[in-house]
Amino acid sequence: MSGVWIYADKYEQGVELLTAGRGVADMLGMKLTALVSGDNNIAQDFIARGADEVLLLPPLTESQPVQDYVPLMADEARDADPDVFLIAASLKGKEMAARIAARLDTALCSECSAMNIDEKGKLQMERLMYGGAAIQTVSISSRPQMATIPPRSYEAAPVQSDRQGNIKTLESPEPSGMQVMERKGKAQASGDITAARIIVCAGRGIENQEDLAMVRELAEVLGGEVACTRPISEEKHWMTEESCIGLSAKEVKPALYLGIGVSGQIQHVVGIREAGIICAVNSDENAPIFESADYGITGDLYQIVPALIEEFKK
Amino acid sequence: MPNIICCFKWVVDEAYIKPSSSGKIDLEWAEYKLSDYDRNAIEEAVQLQEKYGGSVTAVTVASSDATKGIKDALSRGPEKAYFINDDQFENLEPSQTSAILAKVIGDQIDYDLIICGEGSSDMYSQQVGPRLAEKLGIPCIAFVNQLTIEDNRIIAERKTDDGLEVISAPLPALVTVLPDINSPRVPGLKDTLAASKKPVIEIDLEDLGSEYERLLIDEGLRAASMERNCSRFGAGPEDIKAFVEAVRKTGVIDRG
Amino acid sequence: MDFKLTEEQELIRDNMREFARTYVDPVAVEIDENSRYPEEVIKKLADGGWLGMPFPAEYGGAGVDYLTYAIAVEELSRSCAATGFTMSVHTGLACGPIALYGSDEQKKKYLTPMAKGEHLGAFALTEPGAGTDVGAATSTAVLDGDEYVLNGVKTFTSNGPVANTYVTFAWTDKNDKRNGMSAFIVSRETPGLSVGEHFMKMGIRASQTSEIIFKDCRIPKDNLLGKVGDGMKIAMACFDHGRIGIAAQAVGIAQAALDESISYSKQRVQFGKPISKNQAIQWMIADMYTDITAGRFLYYYAAYLKDQGLPFSKEASMAKVFCAEMCSKHASKAVQIHGGYGYCKGQKVERLMRDAKITEIYEGTSEAQRMVIAGNVLR
Repeated sequence: MSGVWIYADKYEQGVELLTAGRGVADMLGMKLTALVSGDNNIAQDFIARGADEVLLLPPLTESQPVQDYVPLMADEARDADPDVFLIAASLKGKEMAARIAARLDTALCSECSAMNIDEKGKLQMERLMYGGAAIQTVSISSRPQMATIPPRSYEAAPVQSDRQGNIKTLESPEPSGMQVMERKGKAQASGDITAARIIVCAGRGIENQEDLAMVRELAEVLGGEVACTRPISEEKHWMTEESCIGLSAKEVKPALYLGIGVSGQIQHVVGIREAGIICAVNSDENAPIFESADYGITGDLYQIVPALIEEFKK
Repeated sequence: MPNIICCFKWVVDEAYIKPSSSGKIDLEWAEYKLSDYDRNAIEEAVQLQEKYGGSVTAVTVASSDATKGIKDALSRGPEKAYFINDDQFENLEPSQTSAILAKVIGDQIDYDLIICGEGSSDMYSQQVGPRLAEKLGIPCIAFVNQLTIEDNRIIAERKTDDGLEVISAPLPALVTVLPDINSPRVPGLKDTLAASKKPVIEIDLEDLGSEYERLLIDEGLRAASMERNCSRFGAGPEDIKAFVEAVRKTGVIDRG
Repeated sequence: MDFKLTEEQELIRDNMREFARTYVDPVAVEIDENSRYPEEVIKKLADGGWLGMPFPAEYGGAGVDYLTYAIAVEELSRSCAATGFTMSVHTGLACGPIALYGSDEQKKKYLTPMAKGEHLGAFALTEPGAGTDVGAATSTAVLDGDEYVLNGVKTFTSNGPVANTYVTFAWTDKNDKRNGMSAFIVSRETPGLSVGEHFMKMGIRASQTSEIIFKDCRIPKDNLLGKVGDGMKIAMACFDHGRIGIAAQAVGIAQAALDESISYSKQRVQFGKPISKNQAIQWMIADMYTDITAGRFLYYYAAYLKDQGLPFSKEASMAKVFCAEMCSKHASKAVQIHGGYGYCKGQKVERLMRDAKITEIYEGTSEAQRMVIAGNVLR
């Protein structure tokens, strides 16, 4: 058997992986199989967006964690023996991918940032290491070749009208003994920074919590979201970690990133490297953020931010 | 009285990583350190021991020159260490590391709970913990930021993309912890001195009695560059105008 | 010949670095500005076992060698020279003489709480008219029954206002210039002991310096340190090993100056390139690095000799004078590299330059060190 498999624990990432998986499957001349949890309508939607086959994961009980799918998915993969298995690098996805890879005795490229297929039909995958200072290229000698793909690495696959595919419903997984006792939503009400087109990011240069209002106003004027660096969320607790950009926090891909008082530590810059335009305001002309920026203003952010708000309003 | 294992990795300190003129990574002068997130793993194990009693054992897989790493880990509180080392254990990939850990832990160590960092600060693959749990056939809860033990179960609060989940799992189990779970203590002088006297059980490849094949093949390493050509502006009114004009011209604002 | 520290020494160095980064860096600017004694940091040092490093475990110490202790002073001083000095005075000059010359009784009573960091120590030798010329002191101790009656004024006493235990010196026989001085241990609560003027200093401002006044201060006979007349010998022995601590402190300051200079020169852009690309800056950095390394090995060597039980007086003086002078020179160079910014408050090099100067002065001026060295070489 041969084929390309994809799985995402969330719909939006699933349709992104359809784009990634379809590309790989076409290059290898293989079938694309999507593991999908949900009902027949979602299965049909995945087929319309590019899957040749859908393995439908039956619903879990309220107290079952999504990780309970792991044994089932690993068993199916062992039987079907796909060539490639891509999983969305959500927090749950990363854990599930590692566990499936362990069950299948295969290797896994974590958070693959670029993917090519060499002349032998093998994946050549890139990923960051050393805190973002280096890029490693890896391949996998075992089957399936597994990788986790960061959210928003690919556009969502569009619906095509004439597509056909098989749907196979899998059996319900056994409860694992792990129980979800409670689920808590995100603390903050504001939008998801990983989806934002425009991000204004507050850094250590902001002196008081009240001053975040100014940053929020700028974001509002620009129609964007407010994010922050690690010191703001972790040390000062002025914003939640949901708003924190960087390695081991959120990686963002906005069209415009505007850093206010952000010094530009490598661990933060890694999280914005995919941004379209990077702008920075910092009083220190030597701040490393300027090396990673397209446009920079040197000066007192307490004068500059109000001026920017006025100017962008025009 | 839980017996707790904390796993740690002795890694290149990324502060020493500098691209050479050829764009390669030069590690000749690199210093090593205890992987950042593993400090949290060790600290959590020690805090749980302070709360519930029991024991804390540190375990690592490393090349044989990582002896300083053992002392470093032991100075942070565990009472003994398993030092699984061999000259061939340099740059292991996660499937190898987890298989080796599983072999030793499964065969030789009594445990109720295994704590790993969420990932290593060099590779940051975030695989070894979950893989190890699978190899041992025990429950795994990853990305945990709060942990308690009740009636032979762990109750863990873990981070998800949507928020938080509180999960309960029967012991023995494995968790991987996030940096915000605790603030690792700075070892005092006497902790370091005591570390040298704690028992260290050494195990080499021959003792393990099997081969651990590399499945993730290293095809190359290069320095990452994130440099852009920054156009600089001052803080004066004309500068602000020019800056806003330049940003508008890129088309990123009005399109939305 | 082995130039490598042991793993344990490296770890202790790394842990002190981590300690300094965690607890000292955040307050270093403020305590300098306000001349504040960082009681909370000293408490943390005590908790970590850092205040009795080279003393036996039976007296509350950690029992490490003097080299390891000196390395810890260097690392602490790299973050804050004043805090490093507080530790150095306490360990080298106050605990040191009790460990070397004290009776078992005295070690139990005084050294143990000091080595545990429960009590802080000070060394009260200098007098208004007696600096390098120790023999010009005028303080006296007169035996009266089971007590000595101490009279005199000590000045520039480091840790003076905050210490619990003082090691001090006074004439028991004024006519015997050679063997007439004796050393004493004095508790803070002794009636007649008072803290006089506090000195506001140019650098190491968080280290507390004051006069200590003894007025009919009655101390038990048992608090005599060593034998009657051992004072001068004890003072000189204290200076010998204290100087290793100051050399280490100076290297720490110089290392901080280098750290700052490297990061600034790589970031500061002039004429379209980082100033680190200029040969003028490169040479300063190269000289700094070379001198720091040379200085570090000089104090390592002096400490090594002491740990081996070999004579180290000359080597301690060599380390002290070399490290102090290179420290001053390079702290000043670091300000030069920083240009106008370096001359302003808020840049670490400004503090480093002020802190550096004292290393050429206290615990024996550079001139006094040269006297010791020349005396050894020319004999």
